[in-house]
Amino acid sequence: MNPSSPAPAPAPAVEEILAQARRLREGIPGDIHEHLVESLYADAGRIAERSVSRPDRPARPTFDRTLDRIVTSRVWGLPVMLLLFAFMFWLTIAGANVPSQWLAGVLVESGHPWLRGLADAAGFPWWLRGLLVDGVYLSTAWVISVMLPPMAIFFPLFTLLEDFGYIPRVAFNLDALFKRAGAHGKQAMSTMMGFGCNAAGVVSTRIIDSPRERLIAILTNNFALCNGRWPTQILIATIFLGRLVPAHLAGLVSAGAVAGVALLGLGCTFLVAWLLSRTVLKGQVSTFSLELPPYRPPRLWQTLYTSVLDRTLLVLWRAVVFAAPAGAVIWLVANVRLGEGSVAEFLISGMNPFGLALGLNGVILLAYLIAIPANEIVIPTILMLTALVARLAGVGEGAGVMVQSDSPAFVGEVLRAGGWTVLTAVNLMLFSLLHNPCSTTLYTIYKETGSARWTTLAALLPLGMGVALTFGVATVWRLLAS
Amino acid sequence: MVVKPALWALLLLGLAMLIVWPRWGLLAWWQRQRERRERELREDALKHLLKCEAEGAAASLLSLAGALRVGDGAAAAIVAELERGGLAGVEGGRLRLRPAGREIALHVVRSHRLWESYLAERTGEPEARWHRLAERAEHRLTPAETAALAAKLGHPLYDPHGDRIPASGDGLTEESGPALENFSPEQPFQIHHIEDEPETVYAHLLRLGLRPGMRGYILSRDDAKVRLWADGAEYAISPGMARQLSVRPLGGVTAAALRGERFLHELPAGGRARLLGLTGACRGAERRRLLDLGFVPGSLVESALTGPGGDPTAYQVRGSLVALRREQARYVRVTPLPGGTP
Repeated sequence: MNPSSPAPAPAPAVEEILAQARRLREGIPGDIHEHLVESLYADAGRIAERSVSRPDRPARPTFDRTLDRIVTSRVWGLPVMLLLFAFMFWLTIAGANVPSQWLAGVLVESGHPWLRGLADAAGFPWWLRGLLVDGVYLSTAWVISVMLPPMAIFFPLFTLLEDFGYIPRVAFNLDALFKRAGAHGKQAMSTMMGFGCNAAGVVSTRIIDSPRERLIAILTNNFALCNGRWPTQILIATIFLGRLVPAHLAGLVSAGAVAGVALLGLGCTFLVAWLLSRTVLKGQVSTFSLELPPYRPPRLWQTLYTSVLDRTLLVLWRAVVFAAPAGAVIWLVANVRLGEGSVAEFLISGMNPFGLALGLNGVILLAYLIAIPANEIVIPTILMLTALVARLAGVGEGAGVMVQSDSPAFVGEVLRAGGWTVLTAVNLMLFSLLHNPCSTTLYTIYKETGSARWTTLAALLPLGMGVALTFGVATVWRLLAS
Repeated sequence: MVVKPALWALLLLGLAMLIVWPRWGLLAWWQRQRERRERELREDALKHLLKCEAEGAAASLLSLAGALRVGDGAAAAIVAELERGGLAGVEGGRLRLRPAGREIALHVVRSHRLWESYLAERTGEPEARWHRLAERAEHRLTPAETAALAAKLGHPLYDPHGDRIPASGDGLTEESGPALENFSPEQPFQIHHIEDEPETVYAHLLRLGLRPGMRGYILSRDDAKVRLWADGAEYAISPGMARQLSVRPLGGVTAAALRGERFLHELPAGGRARLLGLTGACRGAERRRLLDLGFVPGSLVESALTGPGGDPTAYQVRGSLVALRREQARYVRVTPLPGGTP
């Protein structure tokens, strides 16, 4: 045996047996594992033949065959898919409004003043009250109220479709497309999940069993516009782009702009997957197989239970863990004073030249920096910072308190007072799509890949693309305008 | 002012420390690098001696200098170092390994081939890079790590190129069969080994799709090119490349039978077939996965569903519906059955 192996030398008899075993094994032609699998199947087949009686019917029910013909057909496959997903998004966005407002009402509108009163009654100094109630509590409450309802609708819907057996068919339909980009068809599933939440999308790449394709899926998941960014896109498109055209076209134009950004994200997914598989992640598809399970009625309660527990709560918990300290940071930068103004003003004026070169501004850059835990709190932070810098009276409840944005008209007024133009709006929409993933997603990427290098690449790649694209758009825009 | 000279002195001291610090300094780092390079050269030299021994060729200073790509003087220095360490010696005008040196050389070869097996089985690294990565890994792995790697891979006997992985204590046996160029047309063979040096030729053969384990025969041959049939497709390569393929004669099968073999990707939509097995080109995780899914000899398969773009295709096998891409379906040998269900 190996003289340098740490185990004690076995007795001669054992050594002889091992040598004999090796000789015997070498005498077996071909691969021993293969023989095992083949004989297992042969035995299983024999046993099943003897003891299982089958009613006389085809191996696959007619219903399955017919449905498969339709959902994977060249003509109907794509429209069926698009309709289903459009319906799902509509249901998520429209359905989340009511519970979101209710949660915001309880947690933000009544909970926040109540806690402030409580803190005052307990004799907290103003800074402690600000840090804990205006900072930590408010941002956590905000994240829960805007994040929970859409996820609690989207994930169960998605899981129902998955359980029914439809999602694997989508992967089957789109595989040819992903194959061209050097990726795996199952990435279709993680990308769709990414439209709900990128952190959940990254987790769902576990179904891809070849490591190279899985990494591609993880690194490109951020290009799927997540639930936290849809409201930003819709709000900004409504305020700035809808106004460029006559009123009856406004809805169409803003909806088209949002859909365009989402499609641009899909385009980036394929482009980056293609680039990655030709540079840092070279190689062949190591394994490919896609099982198409039989259709079956979804198990409603089980689905609800697992999707709420596994996906929604996991993601929400991670977001809350990151939102609480970020709330403290947001409050601190707006309240800690550095000479003339607050830290926030200092940072904003420092970043402003760079922001303006990108067609954005310092406020936006700072907001993306400190609102990294969740894309949902970017807009409230932008509003608070804008009010702080432009010294708008009557907006919000003071420095470091995130501003609620119920009415688009009000948000538009604040932003225009902050010097926003149509270019700022367009570039914000682009930057919202192409920037580093939120810290929840980054943490999940780190957990899934176990590598700080891939996590860094996952953060810097979209950020670099976003900076380049916004800079390009701003430059061309200014050239055309002058 | 005294501040400025003091600052300069501090800076110089810092710089000096950066260079000469015992374990982290630049000098120590440079020394480590040099020692590592020297050790690698020694190990490569031992490997060369082992290969010469296995092939029955005489190793000389000149062949060593060629294999290591160093000058004659450097090769002589390496040999002197090996002799001092009792790892190799000159006997009868020939360089020969001593037992301690053979053990090290075997470990290096074993680590190299196991690492290639690992890359083939567990990673998506392209085949053309395996050799280069293994050349680096073979010097890094300790015997304990190599043993652990072997255990993790299920103690494989052959590396992905078809070379035997030597057990420690074993000798190295180079049993590369006859080269393809020596075969006559129509004589069935199985590709046993593809030589992975020089790298560009190897990469070209891989790009064409030739792999160890494939079965075929020579269609025609002239001075300019060799046309061969292997696992359902025709390949044209230069005679020089044919020299890189070692093959074994295949008994019990005729060229016509090989030509008549059908593969899963040729099955028309709705067609049914009985499975004969997987081709030798399908290896590692991919092979195990297909076996697990029920693609074993004797299974009935039916081409049930074709994707919107014509690829992938879903096959009904052993009660489940599994989609395979065309490249995967090519690995599956079948006999078509008459009368598929519509």
